[in-house]
Amino acid sequence: MFEAIVSASTFQDALDSVSVLVDECKIRLNEDGLAIRAVDPANVGMVDLSLDAAAFESYEADGGVIGVNLSRLEDIAGMAGSGDLIRLELDEETRKLHIRIEGLSYTLALIDPDSIRQEPDIPDLDLPANIVLEGNQLDRGIKAADMVSDHIRLRVDEEAEVFYVEAEGDTDDVDLEIPRDELIDLTAGPADSLFSLDYLKDMNKAIPGDAEVEIELGEEFPVKLHYELAEGQGQVTFMLAPRIQSD
Amino acid sequence: MGNADLRALASLREVPFEEVSGVVAVDAHNWLYRYLTTTVKFTRDEAYTTSDGEEVANLVGLVQGLPKFFEHDLDPVFVFDGGVTELKDDEVAARREQREKAEEKLAEARERGDAVQAARLEARTQRLTPVIQETSRELLRLLDVPVVEAPAEGEAQASFMARRGDADYVGSEDYDTLLFGAPFTLRQLTSKGDPELMDLDATLEELDVTWEQLVDIAILCGTDFNEGVKGVGPKTALKAVKEHGDLFAVLDARDLHIDFADRVRELFLDPPVTDEYDFDTDYDPRMAEAREFVVDEWEVDEAEVERGFERIEEALVQTGLDRWT
Repeated sequence: MFEAIVSASTFQDALDSVSVLVDECKIRLNEDGLAIRAVDPANVGMVDLSLDAAAFESYEADGGVIGVNLSRLEDIAGMAGSGDLIRLELDEETRKLHIRIEGLSYTLALIDPDSIRQEPDIPDLDLPANIVLEGNQLDRGIKAADMVSDHIRLRVDEEAEVFYVEAEGDTDDVDLEIPRDELIDLTAGPADSLFSLDYLKDMNKAIPGDAEVEIELGEEFPVKLHYELAEGQGQVTFMLAPRIQSD
Repeated sequence: MGNADLRALASLREVPFEEVSGVVAVDAHNWLYRYLTTTVKFTRDEAYTTSDGEEVANLVGLVQGLPKFFEHDLDPVFVFDGGVTELKDDEVAARREQREKAEEKLAEARERGDAVQAARLEARTQRLTPVIQETSRELLRLLDVPVVEAPAEGEAQASFMARRGDADYVGSEDYDTLLFGAPFTLRQLTSKGDPELMDLDATLEELDVTWEQLVDIAILCGTDFNEGVKGVGPKTALKAVKEHGDLFAVLDARDLHIDFADRVRELFLDPPVTDEYDFDTDYDPRMAEAREFVVDEWEVDEAEVERGFERIEEALVQTGLDRWT
């Protein structure tokens, strides 16, 4: 069984983080909250989301798994205003999800979870550098990089304790320098990796501007981006595989 | 020709690309030949030749065909043929004869102005010239795709590499890889859609025969190296080999003779192959040089290959997360 009431903005933020990577996903309806783990078809970007029971106005579930079409679910959730509540109820018999928003009632047909790509194993990474900054700061770097290139370099200057966001285009270059005192926190370590902006742009879109983002970075290693939802009662981790640096 | 007969015996199933990954030892001649015949078939022949008349469709084929491997987590190793095995002389002569016939018909069709027929015949007259082989090797070298030189048959060498576990699959359209003992063969790598997986163990299990017996069945039906026994198809051959145990017992019992039967058998079970090869699949392509080689040096229209080069670049520089799990 599954029955829950959640604020529209929490639910929308949670769905956004997954829909930037996949069109369909499995949702685990655990007793202590809801969990989604998905990887994009090319195996480049992954999301690991958990939304604790406490993030909901009310939550009851007993460990089932459902498969959903995310864009459909997002569209429905998008019908709610930011202050609205969304009521979710699973009909076990018909395998449909009933969604009610302020008098609007929608019955969503679910997808057989077995037909959805298997949930990925989380890469075991021990990344030496840790950068904590505001979503807005990261957003600024990504937007600037996107003007000149399709990939972005993230690196840490260990000695100077500076985090760099850089992009090299065919003609123009962009450089964003954020020293330790402008970051929320920095654990300097050897870190220098290149990433596809296509992916990072999409992930960035899902990160609320006022969220605190923790970046774990290594040398030619995947990057991990963590942030919280619903005042700490939801956690999102993005992982993105690097591009090979050719020179 | 044993292909249709072998298809009837082989265990084949279509597999989604997501379910296959690893090293593919590609029978280079077979793969290039497929590309030459399909690339040229539907187009003007001038489009794939240089101003001095050299055939370069192979370069277009490589640039358009390689992304399929990389994008699906398959690492190709191209295995080129060495010398032609002696016993295959008949087959080579027969193919030459067929080609000459096709060339005559092609000339006729052109004279008649029959474009469709001409295009179809064009495909049949394709061959792997020394220039095609050399330019293919050079482009693969620039793209850092490994090449292995077989002492004789490329398929035999590729199958040997798969048997030793150095490759996860052989890539070939030929069913002979089954006789060469390749555990898994991926077919239709040059076509649209998902590949077909040919499974040796499953084949042997379904037929309830050993690998040696399967080779014997094929020899009775006829292979690239020998004429089969007249009137013996796969079903009859299977039954006969099961009844009598092996090829020679069948021949004895039925008072038949196949020229060099023991040598043909050996060519499949113990062909000339080498274990002196070394390759890594950590690609470090020289994209700019590869583009220059194809577009400037060999005069291939940039529009034909640009998308392919982009896909290769994208697939090779972007790593996957599975590398860390």
